[in-house]
Amino acid sequence: MSISNANTSAANINRFQYTATGGETSISGVDSNGATISYIIGKEQVFVNGVLLERTADYTATDGATIALSNALVAGDILEIIAFSAFTVSTAVSAATVANKGDLLVGTSAATVTNLPVGADGSTLVANSSASTGVSWATPSTMANPVINGGFDNWQRGTSIAITYNATFGYTADRFWSSTGFNGTVSRQATGDTTNLPNIQYCARVQRNTGDTNTAAATFVTPLETATTIPFAGKTVTVSFYARAGANYSTSGNGLSFNLITGTGTDQNRFGSYTGEAYPVSGTPTLTTTWQRFAYTGTIASTATEMAVYFRADRTGTAGANDYFDVTGVQIDLGTYTATTAPAFRRSGGTLQGELAACQRYYYREANGSANAIVATAYATSGTIAASYVYLPVQMRAVPTVVDFSTIAFESPGNILTGNITAAVITDKSSVNVASVNVTTSGLTTGQTGWLRYNNSTSAYLGFGAEL
Amino acid sequence: MSNVSFIDITDPLTTLTETYALIDNGNGQFTTMAKSVYDAQQAANTLPSELSTPTTPQAGE
Repeated sequence: MSISNANTSAANINRFQYTATGGETSISGVDSNGATISYIIGKEQVFVNGVLLERTADYTATDGATIALSNALVAGDILEIIAFSAFTVSTAVSAATVANKGDLLVGTSAATVTNLPVGADGSTLVANSSASTGVSWATPSTMANPVINGGFDNWQRGTSIAITYNATFGYTADRFWSSTGFNGTVSRQATGDTTNLPNIQYCARVQRNTGDTNTAAATFVTPLETATTIPFAGKTVTVSFYARAGANYSTSGNGLSFNLITGTGTDQNRFGSYTGEAYPVSGTPTLTTTWQRFAYTGTIASTATEMAVYFRADRTGTAGANDYFDVTGVQIDLGTYTATTAPAFRRSGGTLQGELAACQRYYYREANGSANAIVATAYATSGTIAASYVYLPVQMRAVPTVVDFSTIAFESPGNILTGNITAAVITDKSSVNVASVNVTTSGLTTGQTGWLRYNNSTSAYLGFGAEL
Repeated sequence: MSNVSFIDITDPLTTLTETYALIDNGNGQFTTMAKSVYDAQQAANTLPSELSTPTTPQAGE
């Protein structure tokens, strides 16, 4: 086999012609056209008056310069010698370059090739600028990204959540909770970098307030439920994400600790630690103020039944104005990848609406209405309690156990409006599809019918939680 | 989220009384949950390891 970019590299044919004077039995030297007769032994053809002679029987040619004839020429005979030159291709590639079935020849630079051994069954060839061959084999990830809201599209609880030192942990962006080792905020920010991060709109910013001196760990975590984790048990996975730091990011060496934590319990939130906790994938990327993509690979134990993607910043000193890290594009793929070869980020729910639905399996907030928007019908079961039922847009992971609310009032026909409710609790009549909620207010009359509505506030809300 | 009170609420229909945690998040924002749910969360999220300087950050605490 050969490869060449010059298909004209064929053998040359030299033609010698000799006119006999009669009696010659050996022809050599200069022919009738002044060319010196030469040939490669065995690669010549000899004709007399157009008739091809038979090698050995009619002539011998053993020295590359002389033709010895069995019969003498007659005057006027025309003897022709057709001599083929050696065939050489300077860019030939040895067939031995490939060693096994499925191996590929690939370029490593201009006019240079090498062998790329065949990949594993089912793998696909992907462009890889960091590989010497420019391509590499990769295992296609056939599972959806299990990290819900890894692109931080959804912030049902608000796009800026205050963090108070040593307060109760709480969810911030949908599906991501923050520890409270600092005073600050977790907020939605535009990625704002069309060069290094062109395809993801938002990120989460975990920021310490200016002047904050608390240096306890700031952890930002998304726990994945058992049903999501099981398909990854016993598999090699790559966790990829984008991250950058603020100008005053105060961790040692601008590091950000990352772990994929696994456990052997069921649907734990990893506020504290998992049962049977392990750390199959970890890294400490060094952040800069420019977006970078990071990817880390490891193998999840076959016994793992829950996992969490865990980011941790251990700050130092007093916070400056931009003591934060940003993260987005959080993704888990089956297989081994680098930051360059990891599949492009994709939402767990596919579309924007699908991602919202995935989030609402865990938390749903009725919000963002007009100042007097109606939430649900309600009726008074006593002078202080009204019962209401909210149909949930997505079947929740479990019957919700947590209600949060702000600026909600009970209204009955005739525009009779109570003050803001002071409590809202889930009742035992709730399901994963309908939240039965009792609200507490005053001035009700048993049997009074009406509805819950925003109390002249566009920031009012009523939310239901079924988080891990 | 640190201003927490506990309230007993009786469902008029069932006459059952349960204790709830009412968390004042400030700015007129509240969260409620059964006290048992609140206690379980508190037991998990106040582990000293998460609020102290870690010695093995790679291990994720």
